[in-house]
Amino acid sequence: MARIEDIPQPTRDAVLAVPCPSFETTPFVVGPPLAERRVAIVSSAALIRRGDMPFSFGSAECRFLPASTPVSDILVSHVSINFDRAGFQRDVNVVYPIERLRELAAEGVIGGVAETHYTVMGSTDPVGMVAAADQIAGQLRQERIDSILLSPV
Amino acid sequence: MLEERGFATVALASVRAQAEKTRPPRALWTTSQMGRPLGEPNDPAFQRRVILAALALLDRTDGPVILADFTEDPPGWTDAPGWVPPVLPDGFAAELAAILPLWHQAQTRHGRTSVGLSFLAPEAWPGFTARFLAGELPVTAPFETAALSLRFVCDDIKALYGEAAQAVGAAPSARQVDAWFWRQTAAGRLLLALRDTAMASDNNALKTVGGRFFVPVPWLP
Repeated sequence: MARIEDIPQPTRDAVLAVPCPSFETTPFVVGPPLAERRVAIVSSAALIRRGDMPFSFGSAECRFLPASTPVSDILVSHVSINFDRAGFQRDVNVVYPIERLRELAAEGVIGGVAETHYTVMGSTDPVGMVAAADQIAGQLRQERIDSILLSPV
Repeated sequence: MLEERGFATVALASVRAQAEKTRPPRALWTTSQMGRPLGEPNDPAFQRRVILAALALLDRTDGPVILADFTEDPPGWTDAPGWVPPVLPDGFAAELAAILPLWHQAQTRHGRTSVGLSFLAPEAWPGFTARFLAGELPVTAPFETAALSLRFVCDDIKALYGEAAQAVGAAPSARQVDAWFWRQTAAGRLLLALRDTAMASDNNALKTVGGRFFVPVPWLP
């Protein structure tokens, strides 16, 4: 709902009033050409595998989502009721574009797709997610991933 | 935080004002609705244009903050004139029973269902929610509180109806699905009633969960 005027009130004001973290540093990592990059997805949709416990409100945890997880077993457990679910109901790729990344890798547009992707509860203050960031970074290094697509809801 | 740890990141940004405040290293603002960062379901070509525009930012070196715009509106933004909402009997139990075949059709059409957070079969929902309306506080495994048990049933009700609304024919816009659910269905009225019950409850967890997570504010009476 990117054009702010398209967001119905009072959600519009609430979205604009959401406290946004500010960061003291502005790190900027450069890397190899896109065709050599290995890419992972980080989704803020609190994705779970069917049968797993949903994320709890305020959770600062990160969960790993193996790329092999069938898309039919992926659910959204984000606590917010102020974003659309109808798109996800038709096509998981609008939130978790795993199939698009695989296509790009098969065509050589990107160097590869991670074996593991990551998901967090997007409504949680990222200041409390240092441990989650470390956990993600550790797995990214193991899989030699250099680039991340952040897909928020 | 991931950039600080040595990884190049690019974010899809649904709200430009938030990207301007947080100033991530690379962000692509899109006109997609919140909840659909890639834009358009079942439109791989559109999704590909979005993702390519985002990934292209990884090749740029003119940081430390790049905010680019992707201004092509997803086709599904506008209402579908050909979409016809399901016609259903009144009363939640009867309505749910009537909509279940459509939900099964939706699963065939889309190859999956997003229902499943509550660990409770749809057939149990009418009885379970009726107990709350009667003042009880039932708890269903694996949850430990009535508030969470009910919250996830409410999520599943909305998901099942959303999928059923998209089972056949033209794909409705998100607005059409919401307007139908909240203004025309017994399920929508049930969730409003459950919210009222939760708000009047002495159970603080239920009061909080019901007040915040059952009914989106734009659809409150």
